[in-house]
Amino acid sequence: MGSDCLTPEWASQPCLIGIDEAGRGPVLGPMVYGCMYCPISYQSSLASLHFADSKTLKEEKREELYENLKLDKSLGWAVDVIDPRELSAKMLAKNKTNLNEISHNSAMGLIKRVLDMGVLLTEAYLDTVGDPDKYRIKLSERFPSIKFVVSKKADSLFPVVSGASIVAKVTRDRALREWLVEETGEDINRNFGSGYPGDPETKAWLVQHKHSVFGFPSLARFSWGTCTAHLKGEVEVSWESDEADESGNSSKRQAKLSRFGFTTCESRSEEIESSGKGRCKFFQARKIQQLTQF
Amino acid sequence: MGTIDLRAAANENSIADLSSQVHQLPCCIRFDGPAQVSHYFKPKSIEVEIDGVKTEEAHFRGRKLQGAPISLPSGYSGFVLGQASNLNANGKRKAPSPTEENQCWEVKAKFDNLTYWNHDNLPSKDDTFMRSFHLFSIAEALHKPVKVEDLVAVSNGGKG
Repeated sequence: MGSDCLTPEWASQPCLIGIDEAGRGPVLGPMVYGCMYCPISYQSSLASLHFADSKTLKEEKREELYENLKLDKSLGWAVDVIDPRELSAKMLAKNKTNLNEISHNSAMGLIKRVLDMGVLLTEAYLDTVGDPDKYRIKLSERFPSIKFVVSKKADSLFPVVSGASIVAKVTRDRALREWLVEETGEDINRNFGSGYPGDPETKAWLVQHKHSVFGFPSLARFSWGTCTAHLKGEVEVSWESDEADESGNSSKRQAKLSRFGFTTCESRSEEIESSGKGRCKFFQARKIQQLTQF
Repeated sequence: MGTIDLRAAANENSIADLSSQVHQLPCCIRFDGPAQVSHYFKPKSIEVEIDGVKTEEAHFRGRKLQGAPISLPSGYSGFVLGQASNLNANGKRKAPSPTEENQCWEVKAKFDNLTYWNHDNLPSKDDTFMRSFHLFSIAEALHKPVKVEDLVAVSNGGKG
Protein backbone atom coordinates (compact mmCIF):
# COMPACT_ATOMS: atom_id res chain seq x y z
CA MET A 1 0.00 0.00 0.00
CA GLY A 2 1.21 3.53 -0.63
CA SER A 3 1.33 6.35 -3.14
CA ASP A 4 3.34 4.09 -5.41
CA CYS A 5 0.73 3.49 -8.11
CA LEU A 6 2.17 6.48 -9.93
CA THR A 7 5.79 7.58 -10.18
CA PRO A 8 5.92 11.26 -9.15
CA GLU A 9 7.15 13.93 -11.59
CA TRP A 10 9.98 14.83 -9.24
CA ALA A 11 11.30 11.25 -9.04
CA SER A 12 14.44 12.05 -11.01
CA GLN A 13 15.47 14.80 -8.58
CA PRO A 14 17.66 13.77 -5.63
CA CYS A 15 15.27 12.64 -2.89
CA LEU A 16 15.37 11.81 0.79
CA ILE A 17 13.38 9.14 2.58
CA GLY A 18 12.40 8.67 6.22
CA ILE A 19 11.46 5.29 7.64
CA ASP A 20 9.78 4.43 10.93
CA GLU A 21 7.82 1.64 12.54
CA ALA A 22 4.65 1.30 14.60
CA GLY A 23 3.51 -1.66 16.64
CA ARG A 24 6.84 -3.27 17.40
CA GLY A 25 6.04 -3.92 21.07
CA PRO A 26 2.36 -4.97 21.04
CA VAL A 27 1.36 -8.56 21.59
CA LEU A 28 -1.65 -8.13 19.29
CA GLY A 29 -1.92 -7.19 15.64
CA PRO A 30 0.50 -6.34 12.84
CA MET A 31 3.76 -4.44 12.94
CA VAL A 32 3.83 -1.68 10.36
CA TYR A 33 6.78 -0.08 8.65
CA GLY A 34 6.09 3.22 6.95
CA CYS A 35 8.16 5.52 4.80
CA MET A 36 7.80 9.02 3.46
CA TYR A 37 9.94 10.50 0.71
CA CYS A 38 10.27 13.79 -1.16
CA PRO A 39 12.77 15.82 -3.19
CA ILE A 40 15.60 17.28 -1.11
CA SER A 41 14.56 20.68 -2.45
CA TYR A 42 11.25 20.24 -0.57
CA GLN A 43 12.95 19.48 2.73
CA SER A 44 12.69 23.02 4.09
CA SER A 45 8.91 23.02 3.59
CA LEU A 46 8.63 19.74 5.55
CA ALA A 47 9.28 21.56 8.82
CA SER A 48 6.26 23.78 8.23
CA LEU A 49 3.92 20.74 7.97
CA HIS A 50 4.18 20.27 11.76
CA PHE A 51 4.94 16.59 11.68
CA ALA A 52 6.07 15.37 15.06
CA ASP A 53 6.81 12.00 16.52
CA SER A 54 3.50 10.17 16.13
CA LYS A 55 3.54 9.05 19.76
CA THR A 56 3.37 12.64 20.99
CA LEU A 57 0.33 13.41 18.84
CA LYS A 58 -3.30 12.80 19.66
CA GLU A 59 -5.06 10.28 17.45
CA GLU A 60 -7.24 12.87 15.64
CA LYS A 61 -4.20 15.03 14.94
CA ARG A 62 -2.34 12.05 13.50
CA GLU A 63 -5.27 11.15 11.28
CA GLU A 64 -5.48 14.75 10.07
CA LEU A 65 -1.76 14.97 9.30
CA TYR A 66 -1.94 11.62 7.52
CA GLU A 67 -4.78 12.78 5.28
CA ASN A 68 -2.86 16.00 4.55
CA LEU A 69 0.36 14.28 3.60
CA LYS A 70 -1.52 11.92 1.29
CA LEU A 71 -2.83 14.95 -0.60
CA ASP A 72 0.57 16.64 -0.80
CA LYS A 73 1.82 16.17 -4.37
CA SER A 74 5.44 16.65 -3.30
CA LEU A 75 5.36 13.74 -0.87
CA GLY A 76 5.35 10.03 -1.50
CA TRP A 77 4.69 7.31 1.06
CA ALA A 78 4.45 3.54 1.40
CA VAL A 79 3.79 0.99 4.13
CA ASP A 80 4.68 -2.61 4.82
CA VAL A 81 2.15 -4.33 7.08
CA ILE A 82 3.61 -7.41 8.72
CA ASP A 83 0.83 -9.74 9.80
CA PRO A 84 1.01 -11.14 13.36
CA ARG A 85 0.82 -14.63 11.81
CA GLU A 86 3.93 -13.83 9.80
CA LEU A 87 5.73 -12.39 12.84
CA SER A 88 4.94 -15.48 14.93
CA ALA A 89 5.79 -17.87 12.11
CA LYS A 90 9.17 -16.24 11.44
CA MET A 91 10.14 -15.98 15.08
CA LEU A 92 9.06 -19.58 15.76
CA ALA A 93 10.34 -21.02 12.48
CA LYS A 94 12.78 -23.91 12.26
CA ASN A 95 15.33 -21.27 11.28
CA LYS A 96 14.28 -18.45 13.53
CA THR A 97 14.38 -14.82 12.46
CA ASN A 98 14.46 -12.33 15.32
CA LEU A 99 12.39 -9.18 15.42
CA ASN A 100 15.36 -6.91 14.63
CA GLU A 101 16.09 -8.82 11.47
CA ILE A 102 12.42 -8.76 10.45
CA SER A 103 12.48 -4.99 11.04
CA HIS A 104 15.65 -4.50 9.00
CA ASN A 105 14.24 -6.55 6.14
CA SER A 106 11.01 -4.59 6.15
CA ALA A 107 12.84 -1.23 6.03
CA MET A 108 15.09 -2.44 3.21
CA GLY A 109 12.04 -3.76 1.37
CA LEU A 110 10.48 -0.29 1.49
CA ILE A 111 13.67 1.35 0.18
CA LYS A 112 13.84 -1.17 -2.65
CA ARG A 113 10.20 -0.60 -3.52
CA VAL A 114 10.70 3.17 -3.78
CA LEU A 115 13.92 2.78 -5.81
CA ASP A 116 12.17 0.34 -8.15
CA MET A 117 9.54 3.01 -8.83
CA GLY A 118 12.33 5.11 -10.26
CA VAL A 119 12.73 7.55 -7.36
CA LEU A 120 16.29 8.83 -7.07
CA LEU A 121 16.95 8.29 -3.36
CA THR A 122 20.22 9.83 -2.14
CA GLU A 123 19.59 10.19 1.62
CA ALA A 124 17.75 7.97 4.08
CA TYR A 125 16.87 8.62 7.74
CA LEU A 126 15.92 5.79 10.08
CA ASP A 127 15.22 5.21 13.72
CA THR A 128 17.69 2.61 14.87
CA VAL A 129 16.86 -1.01 15.50
CA GLY A 130 19.68 -2.63 17.43
CA ASP A 131 23.11 -1.04 17.24
CA PRO A 132 22.98 2.12 15.04
CA ASP A 133 26.44 1.68 13.51
CA LYS A 134 25.92 -1.95 12.58
CA TYR A 135 22.52 -1.13 11.13
CA ARG A 136 23.94 1.77 9.09
CA ILE A 137 26.71 -0.45 7.69
CA LYS A 138 24.20 -3.15 6.76
CA LEU A 139 22.04 -0.61 4.94
CA SER A 140 24.98 1.04 3.17
CA GLU A 141 26.24 -2.30 1.91
CA ARG A 142 22.85 -3.12 0.48
CA PHE A 143 22.24 0.33 -1.04
CA PRO A 144 25.68 1.88 -1.73
CA SER A 145 24.27 4.89 -3.60
CA ILE A 146 22.32 6.16 -0.57
CA LYS A 147 23.72 8.11 2.38
CA PHE A 148 22.22 6.67 5.58
CA VAL A 149 21.59 8.42 8.86
CA VAL A 150 20.62 5.94 11.59
CA SER A 151 19.97 7.28 15.04
CA LYS A 152 17.94 6.93 18.19
CA LYS A 153 14.82 9.09 18.32
CA ALA A 154 15.09 9.84 14.59
CA ASP A 155 11.32 10.25 14.63
CA SER A 156 11.60 13.40 16.71
CA LEU A 157 14.85 14.66 15.12
CA PHE A 158 13.97 14.52 11.43
CA PRO A 159 10.61 15.73 10.07
CA VAL A 160 10.80 13.19 7.23
CA VAL A 161 10.95 10.38 9.82
CA SER A 162 8.14 12.02 11.83
CA GLY A 163 6.04 11.87 8.67
CA ALA A 164 6.92 8.20 8.21
CA SER A 165 5.99 7.51 11.84
CA ILE A 166 2.56 9.06 11.29
CA VAL A 167 2.00 6.92 8.20
CA ALA A 168 3.03 3.81 10.13
CA LYS A 169 1.07 4.58 13.28
CA VAL A 170 -2.18 5.48 11.52
CA THR A 171 -1.92 2.35 9.36
CA ARG A 172 -1.23 0.16 12.38
CA ASP A 173 -4.16 1.62 14.38
CA ARG A 174 -6.55 1.18 11.46
CA ALA A 175 -5.33 -2.36 10.80
CA LEU A 176 -6.02 -3.36 14.40
CA ARG A 177 -9.38 -1.57 14.45
CA GLU A 178 -10.50 -3.23 11.23
CA TRP A 179 -8.87 -6.59 11.95
CA LEU A 180 -10.78 -9.44 10.36
CA VAL A 181 -10.90 -12.13 13.00
CA GLU A 182 -10.27 -15.39 11.21
CA GLU A 183 -11.41 -17.65 14.03
CA THR A 184 -15.11 -18.35 14.18
CA GLY A 185 -15.74 -19.25 17.81
CA GLU A 186 -18.81 -17.44 19.09
CA ASP A 187 -17.07 -15.91 22.11
CA ILE A 188 -14.61 -13.74 20.19
CA ASN A 189 -14.91 -10.00 20.79
CA ARG A 190 -13.03 -7.03 19.34
CA ASN A 191 -12.04 -5.17 22.49
CA PHE A 192 -8.35 -5.50 21.67
CA GLY A 193 -7.28 -2.29 23.38
CA SER A 194 -4.02 -0.88 22.04
CA GLY A 195 -2.45 -4.30 21.76
CA TYR A 196 0.35 -3.42 24.17
CA PRO A 197 0.97 -6.08 26.84
CA GLY A 198 0.51 -3.51 29.63
CA ASP A 199 -2.86 -2.21 28.41
CA PRO A 200 -5.61 -3.49 30.79
CA GLU A 201 -8.02 -3.96 27.88
CA THR A 202 -5.44 -6.01 25.96
CA LYS A 203 -4.72 -8.05 29.08
CA ALA A 204 -8.41 -8.78 29.54
CA TRP A 205 -8.75 -9.76 25.87
CA LEU A 206 -5.87 -12.22 26.18
CA VAL A 207 -7.41 -13.81 29.26
CA GLN A 208 -10.84 -14.07 27.61
CA HIS A 209 -9.50 -15.52 24.36
CA LYS A 210 -7.07 -18.04 25.68
CA HIS A 211 -7.79 -21.50 24.27
CA SER A 212 -6.32 -24.54 25.94
CA VAL A 213 -5.46 -26.30 22.69
CA PHE A 214 -5.10 -23.56 20.07
CA GLY A 215 -3.59 -20.93 22.32
CA PHE A 216 -5.04 -17.69 20.95
CA PRO A 217 -6.69 -16.41 17.80
CA SER A 218 -4.08 -15.58 15.15
CA LEU A 219 -4.22 -11.87 15.99
CA ALA A 220 -1.86 -12.67 18.87
CA ARG A 221 1.89 -12.88 18.47
CA PHE A 222 2.63 -16.32 19.83
CA SER A 223 6.35 -15.60 19.93
CA TRP A 224 5.84 -12.91 22.61
CA GLY A 225 6.70 -13.74 26.20
CA THR A 226 3.25 -12.47 27.20
CA CYS A 227 1.64 -15.27 25.18
CA THR A 228 3.95 -18.02 26.36
CA ALA A 229 3.36 -16.94 29.96
CA HIS A 230 -0.41 -17.17 29.44
CA LEU A 231 -0.14 -20.62 27.91
CA LYS A 232 1.83 -22.14 30.74
CA GLY A 233 -0.41 -24.74 32.28
CA GLU A 234 -2.52 -25.12 29.12
CA VAL A 235 -2.20 -28.10 26.82
CA GLU A 236 1.47 -28.68 26.13
CA VAL A 237 2.51 -28.74 22.49
CA SER A 238 6.04 -29.78 21.59
CA TRP A 239 7.70 -29.33 18.23
CA GLU A 240 10.47 -31.23 16.58
CA SER A 241 12.32 -28.02 15.79
CA ASP A 242 12.35 -27.05 19.47
CA GLU A 243 13.50 -30.46 20.57
CA ALA A 244 16.40 -30.20 18.14
CA ASP A 245 17.39 -26.90 19.74
CA GLU A 246 17.95 -28.54 23.08
CA SER A 247 21.21 -30.34 22.98
CA GLY A 248 21.57 -33.78 24.49
CA ASN A 249 18.94 -36.39 23.86
CA SER A 250 17.44 -34.42 20.97
CA SER A 251 17.71 -37.06 18.27
CA LYS A 252 15.94 -39.64 20.34
CA ARG A 253 13.07 -37.31 21.18
CA GLN A 254 12.79 -36.33 17.56
CA ALA A 255 12.51 -39.91 16.42
CA LYS A 256 9.77 -40.45 18.93
CA LEU A 257 7.76 -37.44 17.83
CA SER A 258 7.68 -38.35 14.19
CA ARG A 259 6.64 -41.90 14.73
CA PHE A 260 3.78 -42.80 12.47
CA GLY A 261 0.56 -41.48 13.89
CA PHE A 262 1.21 -41.98 17.56
CA THR A 263 2.07 -38.62 18.95
CA THR A 264 1.03 -39.09 22.53
CA CYS A 265 4.61 -39.72 23.59
CA GLU A 266 3.96 -42.46 26.10
CA SER A 267 7.02 -43.60 27.97
CA ARG A 268 6.30 -47.12 26.83
CA SER A 269 7.48 -46.20 23.34
CA GLU A 270 11.07 -46.25 24.55
CA GLU A 271 11.27 -49.99 24.35
CA ILE A 272 9.79 -50.27 20.88
CA GLU A 273 11.78 -47.46 19.29
CA SER A 274 11.82 -48.03 15.55
CA SER A 275 15.52 -47.34 15.38
CA GLY A 276 16.20 -50.43 17.52
CA LYS A 277 19.25 -52.47 16.65
CA GLY A 278 18.77 -55.43 14.38
CA ARG A 279 15.77 -54.02 12.57
CA CYS A 280 15.82 -54.03 8.81
CA LYS A 281 17.06 -50.71 7.42
CA PHE A 282 13.92 -50.35 5.35
CA PHE A 283 11.84 -50.09 8.53
CA GLN A 284 14.36 -48.01 10.44
CA ALA A 285 14.56 -45.38 7.72
CA ARG A 286 10.78 -45.11 7.54
CA LYS A 287 10.22 -45.32 11.26
CA ILE A 288 7.83 -48.21 10.82
CA GLN A 289 7.35 -50.57 13.67
CA GLN A 290 5.06 -53.38 14.62
CA LEU A 291 2.82 -52.67 17.55
CA THR A 292 1.24 -55.48 19.49
CA GLN A 293 -0.12 -53.22 22.16
CA PHE A 294 -0.94 -49.55 22.40
CA MET B 1 -1.97 -58.83 23.23
CA GLY B 2 -4.73 -56.41 22.33
CA THR B 3 -7.45 -57.09 19.82
CA ILE B 4 -9.12 -54.81 17.33
CA ASP B 5 -12.72 -55.33 16.38
CA LEU B 6 -13.17 -54.15 12.78
CA ARG B 7 -16.74 -55.38 12.35
CA ALA B 8 -18.26 -51.91 12.55
CA ALA B 9 -16.17 -50.84 9.56
CA ALA B 10 -18.00 -53.27 7.30
CA ASN B 11 -21.21 -51.31 7.62
CA GLU B 12 -20.75 -47.97 5.87
CA ASN B 13 -23.47 -46.22 7.86
CA SER B 14 -22.62 -47.33 11.34
CA ILE B 15 -19.48 -45.23 11.81
CA ALA B 16 -18.52 -41.65 11.04
CA ASP B 17 -16.52 -40.90 7.90
CA LEU B 18 -13.77 -38.42 8.79
CA SER B 19 -12.30 -38.16 5.30
CA SER B 20 -10.76 -34.69 4.72
CA GLN B 21 -10.94 -33.97 8.45
CA VAL B 22 -7.87 -35.84 9.63
CA HIS B 23 -4.67 -33.85 10.04
CA GLN B 24 -1.21 -35.22 10.71
CA LEU B 25 0.66 -32.41 12.49
CA PRO B 26 4.43 -32.10 12.99
CA CYS B 27 4.04 -31.66 16.73
CA CYS B 28 2.95 -33.49 19.81
CA ILE B 29 -0.24 -32.15 21.43
CA ARG B 30 -0.52 -33.53 24.93
CA PHE B 31 -4.27 -33.62 24.88
CA ASP B 32 -6.83 -36.26 24.13
CA GLY B 33 -10.35 -35.09 23.60
CA PRO B 34 -12.61 -32.90 21.51
CA ALA B 35 -11.44 -29.44 20.36
CA GLN B 36 -12.96 -26.73 18.17
CA VAL B 37 -10.75 -27.58 15.22
CA SER B 38 -12.82 -25.98 12.47
CA HIS B 39 -13.11 -22.70 14.43
CA TYR B 40 -9.38 -22.30 14.89
CA PHE B 41 -7.56 -24.38 12.29
CA LYS B 42 -8.10 -22.69 8.93
CA PRO B 43 -6.11 -24.22 6.08
CA LYS B 44 -5.88 -22.08 2.94
CA SER B 45 -4.97 -23.21 -0.53
CA ILE B 46 -1.72 -21.78 -1.82
CA GLU B 47 -0.56 -21.65 -5.41
CA VAL B 48 2.26 -24.16 -4.96
CA GLU B 49 1.75 -27.59 -6.46
CA ILE B 50 3.78 -30.67 -5.64
CA ASP B 51 3.48 -33.63 -8.01
CA GLY B 52 0.22 -32.14 -9.25
CA VAL B 53 -1.23 -31.78 -5.75
CA LYS B 54 -2.32 -28.35 -4.51
CA THR B 55 -0.69 -27.56 -1.20
CA GLU B 56 -2.20 -25.73 1.74
CA GLU B 57 -1.02 -23.38 4.44
CA ALA B 58 -2.23 -23.11 8.02
CA HIS B 59 -1.07 -21.82 11.37
CA PHE B 60 -1.09 -23.62 14.67
CA ARG B 61 0.18 -22.07 17.91
CA GLY B 62 1.99 -19.42 15.89
CA ARG B 63 3.86 -21.82 13.65
CA LYS B 64 3.43 -21.93 9.92
CA LEU B 65 2.42 -25.29 8.55
CA GLN B 66 2.48 -26.41 4.96
CA GLY B 67 0.39 -29.38 4.02
CA ALA B 68 -0.83 -31.62 1.25
CA PRO B 69 -3.81 -33.93 1.03
CA ILE B 70 -2.91 -37.60 0.86
CA SER B 71 -5.24 -40.34 -0.30
CA LEU B 72 -4.76 -43.73 1.22
CA PRO B 73 -4.14 -46.39 -1.45
CA SER B 74 -7.16 -48.35 -2.55
CA GLY B 75 -7.70 -51.36 -0.40
CA TYR B 76 -6.56 -49.45 2.69
CA SER B 77 -8.50 -47.35 5.16
CA GLY B 78 -7.65 -45.30 8.17
CA PHE B 79 -9.51 -46.06 11.37
CA VAL B 80 -10.08 -44.21 14.58
CA LEU B 81 -10.07 -46.76 17.36
CA GLY B 82 -11.59 -46.48 20.79
CA GLN B 83 -11.91 -48.73 23.78
CA ALA B 84 -14.51 -51.36 23.09
CA SER B 85 -17.53 -51.15 25.34
CA ASN B 86 -16.97 -54.22 27.47
CA LEU B 87 -20.44 -55.65 27.30
CA ASN B 88 -21.09 -59.31 27.80
CA ALA B 89 -23.78 -61.35 26.08
CA ASN B 90 -26.49 -60.11 28.47
CA GLY B 91 -25.68 -56.50 27.73
CA LYS B 92 -24.17 -56.00 31.16
CA ARG B 93 -20.87 -54.32 31.67
CA LYS B 94 -18.16 -56.71 32.66
CA ALA B 95 -16.09 -55.87 35.65
CA PRO B 96 -12.90 -54.27 34.40
CA SER B 97 -10.02 -56.64 34.83
CA PRO B 98 -7.34 -55.25 37.13
CA THR B 99 -4.63 -55.88 34.57
CA GLU B 100 -5.80 -54.58 31.19
CA GLU B 101 -3.82 -57.25 29.38
CA ASN B 102 -6.47 -58.04 26.82
CA GLN B 103 -7.38 -54.59 25.65
CA CYS B 104 -10.18 -54.54 23.17
CA TRP B 105 -10.41 -51.81 20.58
CA GLU B 106 -13.20 -51.12 18.18
CA VAL B 107 -13.60 -48.90 15.14
CA LYS B 108 -15.22 -45.56 15.95
CA ALA B 109 -14.63 -43.77 12.65
CA LYS B 110 -12.86 -44.21 9.36
CA PHE B 111 -11.09 -42.07 6.77
CA ASP B 112 -9.76 -42.55 3.26
CA ASN B 113 -7.53 -39.48 3.14
CA LEU B 114 -5.76 -37.09 5.44
CA THR B 115 -3.79 -33.87 5.29
CA TYR B 116 -0.13 -34.21 6.04
CA TRP B 117 1.53 -31.08 7.50
CA ASN B 118 5.13 -30.00 7.83
CA HIS B 119 6.47 -27.16 9.96
CA ASP B 120 7.74 -24.46 7.52
CA ASN B 121 8.66 -26.91 4.76
CA LEU B 122 6.48 -28.11 1.94
CA PRO B 123 5.59 -31.79 2.20
CA SER B 124 7.95 -33.93 0.18
CA LYS B 125 8.22 -37.48 -1.07
CA ASP B 126 11.37 -37.78 1.00
CA ASP B 127 9.65 -37.14 4.34
CA THR B 128 9.63 -40.13 6.65
CA PHE B 129 5.86 -40.09 6.85
CA MET B 130 5.47 -40.24 3.08
CA ARG B 131 8.17 -42.89 2.83
CA SER B 132 6.33 -45.10 5.29
CA PHE B 133 3.75 -45.59 2.55
CA HIS B 134 6.35 -47.67 0.69
CA LEU B 135 5.30 -50.47 2.98
CA PHE B 136 2.06 -50.85 1.04
CA SER B 137 3.74 -52.01 -2.16
CA ILE B 138 6.29 -54.11 -0.27
CA ALA B 139 3.50 -55.82 1.65
CA GLU B 140 1.59 -56.45 -1.54
CA ALA B 141 4.60 -58.04 -3.22
CA LEU B 142 5.34 -60.16 -0.16
CA HIS B 143 1.83 -61.48 0.20
CA LYS B 144 0.90 -61.91 -3.44
CA PRO B 145 0.38 -65.63 -4.24
CA VAL B 146 3.15 -66.93 -6.47
CA LYS B 147 1.92 -68.09 -9.87
CA VAL B 148 3.47 -70.81 -12.00
CA GLU B 149 4.40 -68.23 -14.67
CA ASP B 150 6.40 -66.23 -12.10
CA LEU B 151 8.42 -69.31 -11.19
CA VAL B 152 9.05 -70.05 -14.84
CA ALA B 153 10.17 -66.46 -15.41
CA VAL B 154 12.61 -66.66 -12.51
CA SER B 155 14.12 -69.97 -13.63
CA ASN B 156 14.60 -68.48 -17.13
CA GLY B 157 17.03 -65.87 -15.93
CA GLY B 158 15.13 -63.79 -13.46
CA LYS B 159 13.79 -61.25 -15.98
CA GLY B 160 10.31 -59.90 -15.89
